[in-house]
Amino acid sequence: MKKHHTIFILLFFIVMMLVGPVNTVMAESAESKILIFDEAELLSQEEYDTLNKLANELGGERATDIIILTTANSDNIDVVKMTENFYDDYGPGYDKPHGNAVILTMDMRNRDIYLAGFYKAEQYLDNKRLDKIRNKITPYLSDGAYADGFEKYIATVHRYMSFKPGVNPDNILFNIWFQLGAAAVIGAIVVSIMAYNSGGRVTVNRTTYEDAGTSGILDRKDQYIRTTVIKTKIEKNNSSGGGGGGGGGFTGGGHSHSGSRGKF
Amino acid sequence: MQVVDYKCPSCGNGMSFDSATGSLSCSSCGRKEDIEQIPDPLKKDAFSENEANEYHCNSCGAVIMTESETAATVCSFCGSAVVLGDRLTGKLAPAMVIPFAISKEEAMKAFQKWCKRGLLTPKGFVTADRIKGITGLYVPFWLYELHNLVEAQGRATKVRTYVSGDYRYTETQHFDIYRKLRLNYKMVPVDASEKMNDQLMDKLEPFPYQQLKGFKTPYLAGYIAEKYSYDDGQLLPRANDKIKQYIEASISSSVAGYATVNFSNKNINNTFTNADYCLLPVWVVHYDFNKLEYTFAMNGQTGKVVGKPPISKAKVFAWFAGIFGISLLSLKCISWMMGGGFL
Repeated sequence: MKKHHTIFILLFFIVMMLVGPVNTVMAESAESKILIFDEAELLSQEEYDTLNKLANELGGERATDIIILTTANSDNIDVVKMTENFYDDYGPGYDKPHGNAVILTMDMRNRDIYLAGFYKAEQYLDNKRLDKIRNKITPYLSDGAYADGFEKYIATVHRYMSFKPGVNPDNILFNIWFQLGAAAVIGAIVVSIMAYNSGGRVTVNRTTYEDAGTSGILDRKDQYIRTTVIKTKIEKNNSSGGGGGGGGGFTGGGHSHSGSRGKF
Repeated sequence: MQVVDYKCPSCGNGMSFDSATGSLSCSSCGRKEDIEQIPDPLKKDAFSENEANEYHCNSCGAVIMTESETAATVCSFCGSAVVLGDRLTGKLAPAMVIPFAISKEEAMKAFQKWCKRGLLTPKGFVTADRIKGITGLYVPFWLYELHNLVEAQGRATKVRTYVSGDYRYTETQHFDIYRKLRLNYKMVPVDASEKMNDQLMDKLEPFPYQQLKGFKTPYLAGYIAEKYSYDDGQLLPRANDKIKQYIEASISSSVAGYATVNFSNKNINNTFTNADYCLLPVWVVHYDFNKLEYTFAMNGQTGKVVGKPPISKAKVFAWFAGIFGISLLSLKCISWMMGGGFL
């Protein structure tokens, strides 16, 4: 019994380690970079401070600058061009100037939104993943809940960049609640079966009392009648999200990037 | 003389059935009698079928206290094995008997071993020796022979899917099916004792029928035997109920290979051929735990134990936690291998 206890204590700790939040690892970053360029003045000072701090923290964990650029776009430049120019001119990057960065650009004049990933972020946040992020945050931005939308953007970038490139980050297997639920269901089923069978099982089946000598199939008919065919078109996956489209490209300065463009 | 007992021809001591050798044996001088060779006293003496109210032990003369179902017992005063002849003759005469193969000591050991194997039973239940009583009981069973002629009609489909160009095709072939089966069941056991729990008795199966012997009273010496409370007619519905699931399973297996099967018509023609009255060996264990009494039954031939043991909440939780943890860990590993990160 003592042995059992140690095993279960051990298991308990494993579970706690898996489930427990990773808040403890969040080290205070020594210096805070400016990552939010709120030229359109969508955020209050308080919101700005919180989001900039969050972007620094979570971006640090992924070695990527998570940048937000909002603009009234008085010169009426295309949002993609604007993003590329910003990257070329400002040269953001976590590791080096013109390094790993993901940029969310909001053009308040044309109500355009563009997401671009550079270097590590281009690899980890391909067009598909950027589309997913854009689809997640667009409803907030359309409602004018900019701070909420930006927070969601930062958090989702942080989460998606923890998955290897190429896999679907929204796969249900990666969902902690699904994992917890599935494990609980498996546990409950196994324990119920154990409890159900604790009183002994029925171990006779249909052949136990069958007189094999005289039993059997006397007659059988399998008459073919007809064939029905159902034809369904295979849906091709060429989605280009709501009003959006336009993937990545190259900046004027020759930096390759992924991208997702849309309206809000 | 309604009471039968077995006196050792050598020393006059009471003899009883020995499960190890399958013979009638004397505990004091060790003499063994082959049961198949000795004449059964029941065959010699004719008994009236009227139930006597009082039985007297042939050895000590004391009144033998029995319940009205008891057909064999042990004298509570002198310990002699006695068989109550009038409860085993006429309509009440068993056709066959499976003698005990497991002795009392073996049964106790087997039961304790079974308790230890219980994964959800409380700690004290596993270790404590609280067997309150263990009784070797010949339980009356009817062994039914039931013949069935089954005709079934219905529709079945086979499904094939394939891709051609931009389209996925689901091709379903429809069939009219017909099956005619003869399903004869032999020796389907149904316990005829009012006292025994039906579910418990069902789980004790199967009994090894190759051990069936023609009934002779010496097999009962030293054990408790009961006479049936219900006759074969009364228990026929239960027997039919038991084979119904076997019939359904047989029909299903006869139409294997189809994707879907829908029977529009199933015609089961059931004939009750005969039922044999048999006594089958069961060890009944009474066990005290936490002021509650638990009853378990053990097949006297195979040693299979059945009965609901208490279930420990702590152990249920511990198992749940363990399986939960391992499942979660494996799911995490799967998601990690798919490239999802461990946390």
